[in-house]
Amino acid sequence: MKLLKLTERLGLVNYRNQSKSEIKPHIIVDTDICNSGCPHKCTTWVCPANCYTMDEENKVHFQVEDCIECGTCMYACDQGAVDWNYPDPEIGRGVNWNFG
Amino acid sequence: MDDKFDCIVIGGGVAGLAASMMLAKANMKFLLIERGEFAGAKNVSGGVLWGNDLAKLVPNYWEEEDGGWERFINHRRLTFMDEQSTFSLDFKSSHFNEKPYTGVVVLRSKFDNWLSGKVQEAIDASDYAMDSFIATNIKVDEVLMENGKAVGIKTGEDEFHADSVIIAEGVNNLLTRQVGLQDNYVPADHMLTGIKEIIRFDQEVLEQKFQLNGLSGMSNEFVGWATDGVEGGGFLYTNRDTISLGLVVGIKDMREKKRSPHDLLNHFKTHPTIADIIKDGEIVEYSAHVVSSGDARAMPKELYKDGILIAGEAANLLMNAGKAIQGMDYAMRSGILAAETIIEAKEKGDFSSATLKNYRAKLDQSYVMKDINNFQDAVHLLHTETMQKKVPNLVCDFGRQFFTIKNEPTPKSEKMLLGAIKRHASLWELLKLGFKARKSL
Repeated sequence: MKLLKLTERLGLVNYRNQSKSEIKPHIIVDTDICNSGCPHKCTTWVCPANCYTMDEENKVHFQVEDCIECGTCMYACDQGAVDWNYPDPEIGRGVNWNFG
Repeated sequence: MDDKFDCIVIGGGVAGLAASMMLAKANMKFLLIERGEFAGAKNVSGGVLWGNDLAKLVPNYWEEEDGGWERFINHRRLTFMDEQSTFSLDFKSSHFNEKPYTGVVVLRSKFDNWLSGKVQEAIDASDYAMDSFIATNIKVDEVLMENGKAVGIKTGEDEFHADSVIIAEGVNNLLTRQVGLQDNYVPADHMLTGIKEIIRFDQEVLEQKFQLNGLSGMSNEFVGWATDGVEGGGFLYTNRDTISLGLVVGIKDMREKKRSPHDLLNHFKTHPTIADIIKDGEIVEYSAHVVSSGDARAMPKELYKDGILIAGEAANLLMNAGKAIQGMDYAMRSGILAAETIIEAKEKGDFSSATLKNYRAKLDQSYVMKDINNFQDAVHLLHTETMQKKVPNLVCDFGRQFFTIKNEPTPKSEKMLLGAIKRHASLWELLKLGFKARKSL
């Protein structure tokens, strides 16, 4: 069996409010904390949806669109940078599992 | 105030639905709030629902043509894995064909939705058919407190009032933290990420692949190479025409070892044994869900306070002590016990912790807390490097020696075993392990 890349895997996820151009992010990340003093920046590899990325200058960036609401980042970040909440059903994003 | 509920249940997962079913059957006026489009829309599990509590909620559930569950388990397998080999403990028995089944595989989007339909039927048959509700698409922002007692919930600008609140919000227990029963920051130490693919086959192909008969199914857990040195393990469960294949991997360990869960899952899939199983399958969903390890240190400080009970994963009721990953059965039992406690509180007219503390007592007396307390050493043992790496390697090494037939004199098995032990650990280390395992399992 061909192994899927993460982008292909996320392509199988049924997201909510996908047609909405403006969504309210359910996770707020203070990337200033990530980029000033964090010794590991681990969210850039532990997030199963790769919502946290690192650029060439080792700066952490966050996007909420691909989030599958697992919660991993909330536990992994021990620096207080992740303010985690559940998405708003109307104006948030998040998932709608077909199988679960 | 006649629009006040006896109870508000937060979360349409296994715990919340079990609680709701009991409340409906006892003619209680309640509100079940679910943030997804339907109960199950936001829920992910491995997942096997172990035990037979489901039959308490939905008697003879197995008689239904399409009863929300996938397959019953009559075949269990625990597999040690090294880079090229797998060595399994394999048990299949027609004893497990007897009803009520002792384990059913479920896919939560379907199962929870089905169970919620059953709850609605119970509401319709109750005295509060017009006054109890399952409300979906609502996110609870806050549990309303008055003089230290829960009096309802808030969502957006709306408030709903009740004598009691059952928090069954799941592992990411924000409301449990808000009411002060768990610290605001829960460290990664005893938390793991479950990651899973649903892989589809032609149903006949799947049934032949796993030698399934009718709706029988198999559960398989893996330890060793599956997680490539990261704390955790793998799982494979058969659904109707799909399998659930995944890993559960320690968050702290991934942080320290710089490993990604999605890369680890692909690593697992490249193992020759797994590659043979999933050949020609089609991946139809990718999902993830955090779980606790079963370490009691991850549990909330208490599971009740005035007007509040915590059930299911919100209470971190989940354990893998080596035999099975149990979580949904704990959720179901805790939901049932929470509802029983609320029903007693209603009879007494006292929803304070003086009554609600009985929930904790019931839970402590049940198999849930008895097992969690009795198997703490097993949980710790399972998460040691010896069990995660050395034992699977030496077991597979021994297996390879034992099952290799060469046209030359064969050494005695004991010699093979001692050789394998020496190559991967030491006799002393194994004796210590055996001693600990004897005490803890």
